[in-house]
Formats: sequence, structure tokens, C-alpha cells
Amino acid sequence: HPHSHPRHPGACTMLPLLLLLLPTAHGIVEHVDYVPFLVKTPTLEGLTTASTFVLEQPRCLFNKYSNVDIWLVVALEQTASKFNNSVEPGTPESAFQLFPDPVPAYMTLNATLANYPCPKPNGEITVLRVGSETSCARDMARYSCNGPLPGPGPYKVKFLALKGSKPVAETNWSQPIMLRTAKSPSSITTMDRGHSAGMIALTTILSILFAILLAGLVAMLIFWGSDSCGGSSTFSKPEAVTVRRYNTHHVYDQPAARL
Amino acid sequence: MAKSDDCVHILQGLLVFGNVVIGMCGIALTAECIYFVTDPYGLYPLLEATENNDIYAAAWIGIFVGFALFALSILGIIGVIKSDKTLLLVYIILMLITFAFEMASCITAATHRDFLTPNLFLKQMLERYQKSDPANNNDQWMIEGVTKTWDKLMLQNHCCGVLGPSDWQEYTSAFRVTHSDADFPWPRKCCVLDAQGIPVNLDGCKLGVPGYYNSNGCYDAISGPMNTHAWGVAWFGFAILCWTFCVLLGTMFYWSGIEY
Repeated sequence: HPHSHPRHPGACTMLPLLLLLLPTAHGIVEHVDYVPFLVKTPTLEGLTTASTFVLEQPRCLFNKYSNVDIWLVVALEQTASKFNNSVEPGTPESAFQLFPDPVPAYMTLNATLANYPCPKPNGEITVLRVGSETSCARDMARYSCNGPLPGPGPYKVKFLALKGSKPVAETNWSQPIMLRTAKSPSSITTMDRGHSAGMIALTTILSILFAILLAGLVAMLIFWGSDSCGGSSTFSKPEAVTVRRYNTHHVYDQPAARL
Repeated sequence: MAKSDDCVHILQGLLVFGNVVIGMCGIALTAECIYFVTDPYGLYPLLEATENNDIYAAAWIGIFVGFALFALSILGIIGVIKSDKTLLLVYIILMLITFAFEMASCITAATHRDFLTPNLFLKQMLERYQKSDPANNNDQWMIEGVTKTWDKLMLQNHCCGVLGPSDWQEYTSAFRVTHSDADFPWPRKCCVLDAQGIPVNLDGCKLGVPGYYNSNGCYDAISGPMNTHAWGVAWFGFAILCWTFCVLLGTMFYWSGIEY
């Protein structure tokens, strides 16, 4: 193409025009300034699990293109730089099953602009769950499988728009996405023996009461054995007999000679 | 003489009253412990699997102690009214034995309640729920008990896990061995189910969208009944024992004053 020293003023407008034609002519990929991110609303419990994560859908990004396929590129943080945009999807070079070794990044979740209508209707949850297809994880016939991720990461993703099989636009790489690592249940401690105050009080008081009762029983039996101190406070039995005084009739001896 | 007569009658009256109360409390204790032993909330398999089911042993002891208290209170009433030294001595000794048993029951219930922490149930759930390779018959029995109980708990109380669905993500589990993380971030029973038992929105449940899965933990549904059980046995028993202590002291005093 012509370079340096344009002689006539028309060349100043010619250059930008030519540069506009260049991407379609020579395959330079346009950069869309968008960073893919994990879903923010609504709050999802399963935003990241041990082998999946959930991305916000790329709405209203690639609308100026027509007839593009939008692919998701998933790479490890350290292999993201090795990814070449000209790798074609559905081939062993971008196969999920061969990720991460030897393939540095795989391409999956193929969609068209019709799948991502713009603008986004209110109230709809627009998500992409990366790692949800378990059936094709080992199926070598489906290189673009959205299979469960093989490790905790960290992962980086970006969206790539392809026309035919040529890349026309890409987004930025996302921030590193770290997945959850599960601990073993044997690490759970169950032996924290904190005795509650109630239990200690209950035990103490009951022990004291029982000790007093035993002492009382022993004292009782000892004093039963010795007859001495039993008589201080005696209770009479209910059927106690009381002596009643009775009058004795005096027989007066009347002289019989009163005749 | 008359004053001493009055004192005797008052003491006899008090002792009879004390024994009547003991008898009624004994019946109440038996009824309460039978209620707990029937396990109305179906949580016994969880305790059985922790090999820590002593609060049930405490309830069983409570049943028999309740009966004993009732029978002994009748004996006590007869003994006090007849002022029979032998009868009252038998009464006192048997009551002390019953006191000892009830004391054991209360202390057991209170102590073992302290062992039932969330971590205990969490560990057991992770290790046993839907475990697929039992080590022996006993293990198999416990696995079935734990799995059925947890399924029932999660279904009826609309809850998931001990502290929440994140339990299944934070720890590996026997469940995780047979169910992949991508398909089952948590068990299906954690999803909101329709009348047929099918998740209303399976994708929503797997994502964790509020409204399609149960976000609470089940620990409250477990600890509520267990607390009621343990404290019911322990503190009611404690109250009965305090009252019995007073009645027994009075009876000992009365006994030592009876003159043949």
C-alpha cells in the first residue's frame, strides 16, 4: 500500500479509508473494549463451584457485525498469552478434551447474535454456565464441548466473534477466575468439648443433694442402733390410750337398827 | 402434749402432700420420656450414626424412674399414715436408689447434649449421605438411616446441608464421589420441588438462583427438637429431685422421731 509522502491533499482521507478496508482484507481482529465478568445480579449460590463458573452474557457487543458466531475462549491464566486468534473452533487445536495439555485454550459455547438479543430485557437472567455439559466431556467427536473444568484454575476467558471461520472481533481477557477447592471432611473438628454452665451446675447440685441424703441415711441408721438419743422428741402413736378417771361410788352403810 | 400432736399431724400432712406431688411428677416424667423415646421428629438415626445416642438412654431411664417414683410415693403415704418404721425405712432406701438413677439420667442428658454440635452432624452427613460403598452391614445400616433422615429433613424443612448448600461445595463428601460437581453442586433434595418431587427449575437450582433452591441450613431443625428433648429430661428431672430431696429429709426426720 502507498506509504510516506502523499503528494496531494486527497491522500490524507485515502489513508484512513484504506485502513478501514484492511481488517476485512487482511484478517486483523478488532478489539472490543469489554472485560468478561462473573454474574453480579442476582447473587448466585453456585457462581463458582469446583468445576464450573457463571459468566454474564455478552449482550450488545458485536451488534455492528452481521452473521457472526460468538465463541467463548477459556484458558488458564498462564496459558492465555499462548492463544492464537486464528485457531479454528471444532478442531483438535481448540478441543476441550485436550485442555490444558497440550491445548493452551479451548473454544466453546458457540452462539449467534440471535442468542444474545440487544437490549437485554428486564427481569431476565442472562448467564453462561461454563462447565455444565458432563455428557461430552470424554467424547472426542465433540471438540467444542462445554465440559467441567479440570482444576481450580485460575482461568481467563474472552469472547471471540468469527465470520465464517475468520476472527473479526475479540474482547479483553477477563480477570483471573479462581474456582473453589473442597477440603476433606476429616479436617472437621468435632471434639471441642465445651461443657455448658447449665450442665455443670446441674451435676454439682445433684451430687451435693445426694451426698446429704446419704449422710442423713447413715446418721439415721447409727442412731437407730443406739437407743439413747431416740427419746428426745417422741411422737405418740395415733391410737394412744389415755387413762380415764372414774368415780368410785361410796356405799354408805346405813344402820339397820333405826327401827 | 397437744402441741406435739399438732406438730406430728402437720408433719404427716406435709409428707403426704410431698409424696402426692412426687407421684404425680413421676407419672408426668414417664409420659414425657415416652414421648421423647417415640422420636416424633425422626432424628434418632442421626444420633445412632454418631454412636452418641445417650440422650435416648437417659429418656429410657426416665420412664422407669417415673414409674418407681409413683409406686414409692404410694408406699410413702401408707408408711407415714401408719407411722411404720420398717415401711418407712424401706421407702427411704428405695427412694435413694431411685434418686441415684434419676441423677444419672439427668447428668447423661445434659452432658451428651453438649456433644451435639453442628460440626458433628456436618461430618456425619458428608461421610455417610448417599455413600455407595459400605464397609460392613453396620455401616450399611447407618448409611441408610442417615440418607433417609436427611432426605426427609431437607424435604420437610426446606433446607439444605447443616449450615447451607455451601457445605457441599466447601468439603468433599461421599455424595461427591458418585455425583459430579457440575451436575450436582448439591443434592436434588435441596432444590425447590413440585408436588411430584421434581425440581421446579433444575438449571435455576444448579446455578443457585434464589427461589429455586433451599438456602437455609438444617441445623435449626435438628437442634430444636434435640434441645427440647435433652433439657426436658435433664431439668424436669432436676426439679423432681430437688423436691424429692426435701421430702426425703422430712421423712428421715419423721422416722427418727417415731417411738415404738
